[in-house]
Amino acid sequence: MDINVKVKSNISIRAFYLFFIITSLQLGVGVMGVPRFIYLEAGADSWISVLIATSYILVVLFVMIFILKQYDNADIFGIHRDLFGKWLGNLISSVYIIYFIATLFSVLITYIEVVRIFIFPTLSPLVMGLLMIILAVYSTLGGLRIMVGVCFLFFILTHWLLLLLIEPAVQIDWDHFLPMFQTPMPDLLKGARATSYTFFGIEILFLIYPFIQNKKGMHFPIYMAAIWSGLLVMITTIITLGFFNGEQVARREWTLLSLFKFQQFSFIERLDFVVVAEWMMVIIPNIILLLWGATYGIKRIYKLPQKVSIYALAIPLLIGCWLLDEHFQIQWIIDKINELGFWLVYVYPFLLLPLVLIKKKWKQRKRGEKNEA
Amino acid sequence: MKKAKRKATNSFFPIKAEKLKQTLEDQFENSTDLSFSIFEHSGQKLAVFYLSYQVNSERIENMLLKTLLDSQKEWTVETILNEVPLNTGQKMDKLEELLTNLINGHVFVYVEGEKQVVSYLMLNIEQRSLTKAETESVVIGPQVAFTESLVTNLNILRWRMRSPDLVFEKIMLGKRTPKEARLIYLKSVANETDVNTMRQRLQDLEVDEVEDANVLMQYVEDSSLTIFPQFYSTELPDRASYAINKGRIGVIVENSPAAILAPTTFFSFFESTEDLYMRWNAGSFLRILRFISMFISVMLTPMYVASVTFHYELIPTQLLISIGQSRANVPFPPIFEALLLELLIELLREAGARLPTKVGQTIGIVGGVVVGTAAVQAGITSNILIIFITISALASFTAPSYLMGTSIRVLRFPMIILAGILGIMGIVFGISFLIIHLLRLTSLGRPYLTPIYPFRMVDLNKVLIRFPQQFQGKRFLSFRPKDRVRFNKKKAHEKKDIDE
Repeated sequence: MDINVKVKSNISIRAFYLFFIITSLQLGVGVMGVPRFIYLEAGADSWISVLIATSYILVVLFVMIFILKQYDNADIFGIHRDLFGKWLGNLISSVYIIYFIATLFSVLITYIEVVRIFIFPTLSPLVMGLLMIILAVYSTLGGLRIMVGVCFLFFILTHWLLLLLIEPAVQIDWDHFLPMFQTPMPDLLKGARATSYTFFGIEILFLIYPFIQNKKGMHFPIYMAAIWSGLLVMITTIITLGFFNGEQVARREWTLLSLFKFQQFSFIERLDFVVVAEWMMVIIPNIILLLWGATYGIKRIYKLPQKVSIYALAIPLLIGCWLLDEHFQIQWIIDKINELGFWLVYVYPFLLLPLVLIKKKWKQRKRGEKNEA
Repeated sequence: MKKAKRKATNSFFPIKAEKLKQTLEDQFENSTDLSFSIFEHSGQKLAVFYLSYQVNSERIENMLLKTLLDSQKEWTVETILNEVPLNTGQKMDKLEELLTNLINGHVFVYVEGEKQVVSYLMLNIEQRSLTKAETESVVIGPQVAFTESLVTNLNILRWRMRSPDLVFEKIMLGKRTPKEARLIYLKSVANETDVNTMRQRLQDLEVDEVEDANVLMQYVEDSSLTIFPQFYSTELPDRASYAINKGRIGVIVENSPAAILAPTTFFSFFESTEDLYMRWNAGSFLRILRFISMFISVMLTPMYVASVTFHYELIPTQLLISIGQSRANVPFPPIFEALLLELLIELLREAGARLPTKVGQTIGIVGGVVVGTAAVQAGITSNILIIFITISALASFTAPSYLMGTSIRVLRFPMIILAGILGIMGIVFGISFLIIHLLRLTSLGRPYLTPIYPFRMVDLNKVLIRFPQQFQGKRFLSFRPKDRVRFNKKKAHEKKDIDE
């Protein structure tokens, strides 16, 4: 396995699309329920928690870019190989892949659960899983460019949903945010941590970096993506907390979706149905990118062709969706993934950074000695 | 010297005139159309032969025979070529070559004892005159359509684009019954890779025969499994010349009244040349209308089926009451009802297309009005669904390309079935699948959904909204034309302050 990845120019992508890739992966099932989780920790000052989380993510992104820049064209798997050698490196990379698969699975089952709660209580999770996995496999087989296209188009096709929040937004009771700045700092940080599952997705940068054509122009779209996701979570949190009172927020599982019930037109009402269905278009880019990430990692480490691993992954995932349909089981899985992801996405880059720098220094010194000799 | 010797041994000639006649008659078994006459002329035997229905016999008599027989010369191959006042003279000495040319409308003169035979092209093509476009009718702008004759079509195109840059490359298609085709592009504009790809695909084609341009299109398309056409087939010369001027590649085939245009985007199937002839705002309005109607055509009936079958909650009470009243007597589930009516519409369309025009109109009235009303009164269908189905059928006919319109109509059926089984989830699944499918398609290797994805801001002014002409200074850059600029925007649009 090479540390650096050689990418043909006909499969590379413009840095501009990083914005859509990262936002697509960040905004998924998490947004639907996140205001409640933040509220449970941070109360009326939840918006500060979102602010903290977003700023922290910007720092993580900065570190990630810094790490990647130390190499010519490497991804996380190559970096692991370089730092830890073959065995340990592959082991850590495998954890990364398992994290991708687990996140993918959690996204699938969460969405299936939402559909069953809001639209079809009797629908078999197998059918829903099949629908989504067909779409995911079909677009992943098309290659990276197709997947980026899906992210891009579905981003545009789903953001009109924001317009449906105007109606609840004008009915906000600003008193709900009072008293301001009274939550103690530890609670605010806990609130920020509650957003971690929602903001997962920046780790895709570690994989997709070698495929970027114009690496000089990548900072702006990457930071914008994190800011945009932060802004959306901020908007939804503010509207949710302003529209419902504290007790209502604490009681509702998918608070954001409940908001959409209040918009109605003369020919259509109960738009939460439409939103839950349309949310499939938010979920698909998630699944696609995670499926790609997992299979691409397997290809990098174990040299298994993606065409094989995609099917090999899809079938167990489908069976998993079918077997797991208890709310508490799903919550348990999400909590575990949350735990793993938190360390892997938000803390791990900081551990990686000194190692990368030391290794680079060491290499330079070695080269220097060689030159002297 | 050596070469000449080998030629002489290979050659079919010289041969006795009678034997030549015998050979040819054997080839065309009992053909009464082979006209073979032998003239004794100042000691020489001259054989003149041709297929009588393929050639213009008046020209043979006036130009060829008169010259040959009036003079008292000794004729050889060279003197014939020099003195007969016709400019398509050729020498040939192989039997196969002779036979193909005989079929293609050549007239042969053979002087007994010579090693070669002289031939003249005197093809007489029966062709219809130029008519108005039928399938792609336009209200304003040029009305003339391509015909089945290649020569006429070339003539029309050349007369629209009088540029020495315009190339008509000849390519023969089909192995058993070869057909002439032309690869048309502007040398200084068209992308070379695209031209090479197209040429390669045409040359590599291993088929018996090419029936029509639309068949050829299916042979050389990027993906044959999809329902969407990837090349545009048009019968409008102005559309073809417009596309070629923008750097696309055209292919026309003998005996086919359609020109293939490639590469093509999904969006160009909803563009009509009329959008250009109209004011930009009216043209843009029409174009947006077509996009909306495509959306309606695919979505309206499935939405109805989904909400009436599964999601009553979606419909506000007032509307639900009227829908409920109209459906009260209908014994069928909505999906069955919808499929029945869609089928009826398709039947009407198909019957209308197959029958002679006069009968077709009658059938339309009988089918549409009588059956529709009777079906509602008999309580088989609800009248609200009839309204929806009619709207979506009408909407599907707005696509300027008949091929795309048909594809969209076919797409409705799986969408209705998905909506009937999985409700709104089925619809979202169907739409997502379609979008991913469209993303995966390419046309001549260029992405099908460009300029939306891969996103290209500069090209958007030609796609969804047609901007005024002064903003159209650049060609469609997504297809990477050699010459990117049509005109300099600054020169075309000088800004002045008020009252200057």
